[in-house]
Amino acid sequence: MASSLVARLPSSPSPASTSSAFFPFQPIPQSLPLHSHVRHLRFSWSVNASLGDDTSTQIDGPEAPSSSSSPADAPSPSTSTVVTSSKQPQTVSLSLEDVNPVGLGRRSRQLFDEVWRRFTELGQLTRSPRDSEEYESVLIGGPMCEFTIPGAESTTVLVAGATSRVGRIVIRKLQLRGYKVKALVRKADPETLEALPRSVQIAVGDLGDPSSLKSVVEGCSKIIFCARARSNLTGDLNRVDRLGVYNLSKAFQDYNHRMAQARAGRSSRSKLLISKFKEKDEWAVQQGTHFTDDIAVKYDGGMNATFSEEEDGNAVFSGYVFTRGGYVELAKKLNLAPGLSLDRYEGLVLSVCGDGKFYSLILEACSMDDPSHKIIYAARFATRLGYSRIRIPFSSFRPMNPKDPALDPFSVHTVAIRFEPRKQRPLPVRNGSGTSVQSSLRDLNSFKLTLDYIKALPGGQETDFVLISCTGAGIDENERDKVIKAKQAGEAALRNSGLGYTIIRPGPLQDEPGGQRALVFDQGNRISQGISYADVADICVKALHNPAARNRSFDVCYEYVAEQGQGLYELVAHLPDKSNNYLTPALSVLEKNT
Amino acid sequence: MAGLMLAQAPSFQNPSSAPSSIDKPAAVSPAEMSINSAFWGSSIKLNCSPSHALCKASKADRRAAGLSARCDATKVMAASTAMSGTPVRSTSILVVGATGTLGRQVVRRALDEGYEVRCLVRPRPAPADFLRDWGATVVNGDLSKPETLPAALVGIHTIIDCATGRPEEPIRAVDWDGKVALIQCAKAMGIQKFVFFSIHNCEKHPEVPLMEIKRCTEKYIVDSGLNYTIVRLCGFMQGLIGQYAVPILEDKSVWGTDASTRIAYMDTQDIARLTLTALRSEKADRKLFTFAGPRAWTTQEVINLCERLAGQDAKVTTVPVGVLKLTRLLTRLFQWTNDAADRLAFSEVLTSDVIFSAPMADTYVTLGADSKDTTTLERYLQEYYTNILKKLKDLKAQSKQGDFYI
Repeated sequence: MASSLVARLPSSPSPASTSSAFFPFQPIPQSLPLHSHVRHLRFSWSVNASLGDDTSTQIDGPEAPSSSSSPADAPSPSTSTVVTSSKQPQTVSLSLEDVNPVGLGRRSRQLFDEVWRRFTELGQLTRSPRDSEEYESVLIGGPMCEFTIPGAESTTVLVAGATSRVGRIVIRKLQLRGYKVKALVRKADPETLEALPRSVQIAVGDLGDPSSLKSVVEGCSKIIFCARARSNLTGDLNRVDRLGVYNLSKAFQDYNHRMAQARAGRSSRSKLLISKFKEKDEWAVQQGTHFTDDIAVKYDGGMNATFSEEEDGNAVFSGYVFTRGGYVELAKKLNLAPGLSLDRYEGLVLSVCGDGKFYSLILEACSMDDPSHKIIYAARFATRLGYSRIRIPFSSFRPMNPKDPALDPFSVHTVAIRFEPRKQRPLPVRNGSGTSVQSSLRDLNSFKLTLDYIKALPGGQETDFVLISCTGAGIDENERDKVIKAKQAGEAALRNSGLGYTIIRPGPLQDEPGGQRALVFDQGNRISQGISYADVADICVKALHNPAARNRSFDVCYEYVAEQGQGLYELVAHLPDKSNNYLTPALSVLEKNT
Repeated sequence: MAGLMLAQAPSFQNPSSAPSSIDKPAAVSPAEMSINSAFWGSSIKLNCSPSHALCKASKADRRAAGLSARCDATKVMAASTAMSGTPVRSTSILVVGATGTLGRQVVRRALDEGYEVRCLVRPRPAPADFLRDWGATVVNGDLSKPETLPAALVGIHTIIDCATGRPEEPIRAVDWDGKVALIQCAKAMGIQKFVFFSIHNCEKHPEVPLMEIKRCTEKYIVDSGLNYTIVRLCGFMQGLIGQYAVPILEDKSVWGTDASTRIAYMDTQDIARLTLTALRSEKADRKLFTFAGPRAWTTQEVINLCERLAGQDAKVTTVPVGVLKLTRLLTRLFQWTNDAADRLAFSEVLTSDVIFSAPMADTYVTLGADSKDTTTLERYLQEYYTNILKKLKDLKAQSKQGDFYI
């Protein structure tokens, strides 16, 4: 603009002395002293003189700026109407706007300011950003930001327990990384809202009340659960740590189903019902023995098994096996809907009411090369007295014949539940009263299994639900069992929901900044150290997109500083830094589906 | 405790009769002891500053001395209550200058590491919403209005001071008077640690007002008895984006000097990371660090790098350093252009051919950090151009549209 302005000035009919009376229709603010316009207009003439060559470096003071400034730097209200071409100034018709002394003065002042600004910038240590709004878009939330995760803005994370110590840090971390955050609070009172960042979406709901969670989970793609009971009263524990997890995971699954139905498909997070046993569809009882020796069979007591419906409507698989090496099984050919196969799933979940015996889940598959060749895979599972849901990932199935390849869920055509006396171990069973367990275990040959359903668990890459549980360390002795029981019930509810889960069991939480000490990831309730809130929050956020975190439960605490030669733990993590993702190596050595 | 401190804040304003009490040599009560020590800081500086030629700095010193005398009496009372109050959490920090280039990175880093961050922000029409969005607490306050400070310091364990006056405002109001008030307040209220950002080589250039003020402030902090960490900085990579990277991509003219001064630019994110490491480490207590980038660059080298990465030739307007110096001399002749002269003060540094860099090996060892994690300028600009070109591609915009570059 500068050059075009200058090029046109000589042809302007009236020079700097133009009075305002010359343009009676041009509104001139009375508040501006006229002489200032005149002075600036003169100055713009001097710009004209020195702008003959763009590369001139003839500078001897603030009054004589050189070089052209760019159009964007000196915007003017009349730019669009005036500047059509700077190359052919003669053809441009002058509007009255151009020679208005107010406009000229303003423009020349802008030009001067720009040149002076750039000049002084050279002589400064600190620079103020050119345009604060533009500048902020580089450093705030842009791709150059340290914590920004690509694609995070399309992920909405629901944080339950947003006002807890961990929850607050989790929210901050999510915000820094550019996630959309929804905070679940019990009451939207001003005090709570003040503690949360303003751009966080507030969802009001109570974990103990399933109906209130229905709208809360809408639009969410991931959940981080950092709520915990306010007290160690059984009622509170039940409401938050057990039912809270159950309700929230259920509400989330329901939402996924609804969304899936709306687009006429199956939710990728929903379980696939393989069979409800009550309907007794196509389940067949089979018998067999591992021995082919006729004599041995002849002298054995034989075996019998039935699959029947009891008076209360439950489907029961019961019987006895006295044959050596014999087994009975309840088998069913899979008939999945077209387009579905088990390879989208990563395990099976059974709901059974057991008797403390061991059973095997058998999958029959045909080999890829030879369809007639049958491969049998088995995974053993223990039952306990009373109803339980048992989760068996496909990865725990082993081929009966060690030479056969590992299980490919795609080729599975038959599923069976098998009882074998030789697989029984008179192990003490955790639950139930001692006497009944003892008596039932003495009798290793008969069995009774009430069957409810069998479902396939969906597979996936990432975790959907991060749950902060606890190890029980640091809790008062009298309360510990109660707390752990509630937490474990919550964990179980999450595992059985079919969502991809990550369960973090931190040691006693400490109020410290995070990232300063090495962490130990472990399984098996062996940890003894504490951990800071911030580190737990960091693990939660890192776990969101980490395939290694899916379907894992782990304990975590600060590195145990062992005496020489007394080290119990393998150090798997080190101090986190900018590019460090400590979670993957730490978790990949731990067992899945725990 | 908070209510108590807030209630005292108004009395902080009172021009109390402290100066007379300072003159009493017999005073041995705890209150007056600390007045003396606070006053010592500034009086030492008064002794040393006239040795440097510039009269402005010493004028500032004198004014600050008056300020310290005026403020102390009430604050000492505040300190005695602060000592007996509830213990502050070690995770609560106050960031002064949180909206600045460095300050915001410190806030981000601190939030990510789980600190409870409070930001002291000047009241402004457009509030710094981004700080709130990240989860920091924003309190209004102004370094140049000392009465606003005590309330902001309640319950704070550590102060990180990233504030510097804007170039367009008088340097002394924020950088000297404000800082002195902040340090005194911190001392009086028992702040456990004070992190201060200074400028590298500031003791070598007393003719540059900002550097002289930084040097005096460093000394003031050391003498104040606070547990401090002083970090001297060389240059920010972020500043290069607006100065060179964008104009070169936009095909606009770039102004540079022919000075051969080399500056070891550093990513503010790295500075923030190292600062927070220093914050936690006891080895960094009462220490002075210089944070410098991996390599020192001249202006010309930076422009060449940008040209190579952007794939465009820059239109460089080289201003000889002599011209800058001359302008500074001219503007210093008149009272009304003195501010302009101050703005050009850095030209003195440019002509001195110093290298703004420092060996970092010891710092990395002390802080237990890895030098490999520090971003180099090549990588930083490469990343910037990669991102910006990708963004442009996404927007299918022409490279002449300036709005997309920043």
